[in-house]
Amino acid sequence: MTGSSASSRKVLSKIATNRLQKELVEWQVNPPSGFLHKVTDNLQRWVIEVYGAQGTIYAGEKYQLQVDFPEHYPMEAPQVIFLHPAPLHPHIYSNGHICLDILYDSWSPAMTVSSICISILSMLSSSTVKERPEDNDRYVKNCRNGRSPKETRWWFHDDKV
Amino acid sequence: MDSEDDMHDANDAESVDDDFYSGETAMDSDDGDAADYEFIDNDSDDSNDLVSHRSQQNYTILNETDIQLRQEDDITKIASILSISNVAAAILLRHYNWSVSKVNDEWFADEEKVRRVVGLLEEPRPLPNAKELTCGICFEVYPNDSMRSAACGHPFCVTCWQGYISTSINDGPGCLTLRCPDPSCGAAVGKDMVVSLASHDDREKYRRYFLRSFVEDNRKVIVLSFNFLIIDLRFFFISPLIQNGVLLLVVDYAVDFIVGGGTFDVTCRCSYSFCWNCTEEAHRPVDCDTVSKWIMKNSAESENMNWILANSKPCPKCKRPIEKNQGCMHITCTPPCKFEFCWLCLGAWSDHGERTGGFYACNRYEAAKQEGVYDDTEKRREMAKNSLERYTHYYERWATNQSSRQKALADLQQMQSVHLEKLSDKQCQPESQLKFITEAWLQIVECRRVLKWTYAYGYYLPEHEHAKRQFFEYLQGEAESGLERLHQCAEKELQGYLNVEGPSKDFNEFRMKLAGLTSVTRNYFENLVRALENGLSDVDAHGGTSRTGGSRSLGAGSSKGRTSRSKGTASRSSGSRNIDDSGHWSCEYCTFANAKSATVCQMCQQRR
Ligand SMILES: [Zn+2]
Ligand SMILES: [Zn+2]
Ligand SMILES: [Zn+2]
Ligand SMILES: [Zn+2]
Ligand SMILES: [Zn+2]
Ligand SMILES: [Zn+2]
Ligand SMILES: [Zn+2]
Repeated sequence: MTGSSASSRKVLSKIATNRLQKELVEWQVNPPSGFLHKVTDNLQRWVIEVYGAQGTIYAGEKYQLQVDFPEHYPMEAPQVIFLHPAPLHPHIYSNGHICLDILYDSWSPAMTVSSICISILSMLSSSTVKERPEDNDRYVKNCRNGRSPKETRWWFHDDKV
Repeated sequence: MDSEDDMHDANDAESVDDDFYSGETAMDSDDGDAADYEFIDNDSDDSNDLVSHRSQQNYTILNETDIQLRQEDDITKIASILSISNVAAAILLRHYNWSVSKVNDEWFADEEKVRRVVGLLEEPRPLPNAKELTCGICFEVYPNDSMRSAACGHPFCVTCWQGYISTSINDGPGCLTLRCPDPSCGAAVGKDMVVSLASHDDREKYRRYFLRSFVEDNRKVIVLSFNFLIIDLRFFFISPLIQNGVLLLVVDYAVDFIVGGGTFDVTCRCSYSFCWNCTEEAHRPVDCDTVSKWIMKNSAESENMNWILANSKPCPKCKRPIEKNQGCMHITCTPPCKFEFCWLCLGAWSDHGERTGGFYACNRYEAAKQEGVYDDTEKRREMAKNSLERYTHYYERWATNQSSRQKALADLQQMQSVHLEKLSDKQCQPESQLKFITEAWLQIVECRRVLKWTYAYGYYLPEHEHAKRQFFEYLQGEAESGLERLHQCAEKELQGYLNVEGPSKDFNEFRMKLAGLTSVTRNYFENLVRALENGLSDVDAHGGTSRTGGSRSLGAGSSKGRTSRSKGTASRSSGSRNIDDSGHWSCEYCTFANAKSATVCQMCQQRR
């Protein structure tokens, strides 16, 4: 996520603001385990720390997720990427883009940041190898101009991992 | 009369004195009854054939209402067979690509599984029984009665439903498989709910997706060469085809095509014609293979041919550039030159048409070549140039007829929108009495199309089939000149009745003439198309009908005096099998006039 595309983003709608404030309150009361949201006054961009779960190959490691919310959140999915360095994972590209269907086609407005986090953690936890997607280099090269993962036509990897 | 030969001979005998296309002569001598004027095929088998050929349409054009009715029929059918609501039936049908039988089979094989897959609950669940409910999207609390849910009972507020539905509709046809927003649920959101919550515009979009899905999902979808998604087999969208590169989301008309019944040509209600088989524009009498070869050839040669498409040529007499802005080939240079010439061959018009008894040779490549239009000095260079030159000849005529057709289409529209009313006013004729003009123009448009494709036909007609070529070129020449006559009458003569103060005395005669020409031309072209589709099977392979032009005209009339007037091919077709005056010898197989010194025919390589 580059600064330029973030600044071109439209401000949150009233519905989106209300909903995010509710999510934030809920998060503070009941945070998903393994995550830490460093609250700032920027409601439109959340940066969340992810802790690799015990007993998985990411145990003891710490990563950062950046979540950007569109004007019409939650009707539109947020953009979720890993900040550098992104975990080595067969569905996570070195530029931080994540191949996970609920972030794109399968998004539903009844999902929340919290439910996204849980899905991502479960995706990490089920991996048995630390490696990049096969098409990593090609994909990352294509994204060089700061293209959002939401503009990608995702062909989802099998969902076992 | 049982054989075609008899028929033609009889025709020749009966009508030696009026040329097939000499409309005026016929008008003058007859009392002007269009029925008399129209050529009536004497061979009864043949004419029946023609009638059945025309009436046997193997396709139906469906408009939106027709499609909708069929869709509703299927929905009602499934609803009553499975005893479910129409909304549920529509969800099922859409999931199984609108196949009634597939829905039936799957449902009765494993209803539970089908329900799970498409999201149809057996027992609808009501909203939770509480005074106030929290919306699963905005997390606001609302009184129970302002919440909605799909059959699953998951509550969302009206505003969130509206946003959810609107987002989905604007995302595309995926809205037809909308599910409950709850990620763990999957209950289908039916058409009734969408329609009740969507905005007016979104409702219309949804309705179109719904309709379109019936047409598209129903059938195998194929991708055409020009990147359109088109529906094969039974339904076919017209609008995407004619909208340059843009796939419209609008159901215009669809075509219900029954494969295996006759020809592939389909004419939509919007008057666009295309070939069902290859989806190119309609191309009778040539087959799909020839069309695709020809189109490939055109794109391969497109650079060479660009100059041909320029609609300007120098006047053959005064050399000033002349813009062709009319549909017919008869061009008159601007004053003071006023030279009348033929756009195709740049020859004097006086060598064409009526004055020479309808003889029209500018369609013949050999003739053009022999008359030095393509000045060839050195034999060797000529041979190398030959293939491109030959192609150029056919391509130019193909393209010219194409643009003439475009022009005629535009004229037809202009006629219908402006001129008919004016004419009706000027000539004190009700517009209903002016249908003959529209018919004439429709005929011109169709004939230009056929004629255009005859040049692709001619290009691929093997060189060595001389008899066929000769016959073909004769037929094509007649077609050109006949159509020219019609086109000119509809284009130029009509002007004389438009730009007048009061009714013209001879308007009725004009009507007779134009209607007559239309009908004669229609007949001729229908026969031409059939003859070409039969591969000119009347003609024996080797000179069996060396004077084919004389003894077998298509349709009606005689070929009075044509033999003596054919200039370009005279040396080849003189019928002499031996050495003629100039010392040439005529090939026994193909009649080509070879130089005295040659021992092998230049055309067909047969020994002398
Ligand atoms: Zn539900
Ligand atoms: Zn709501
Ligand atoms: Zn149409
Ligand atoms: Zn075709
Ligand atoms: Zn001139
Ligand atoms: Zn000419
Ligand atoms: Zn020969």
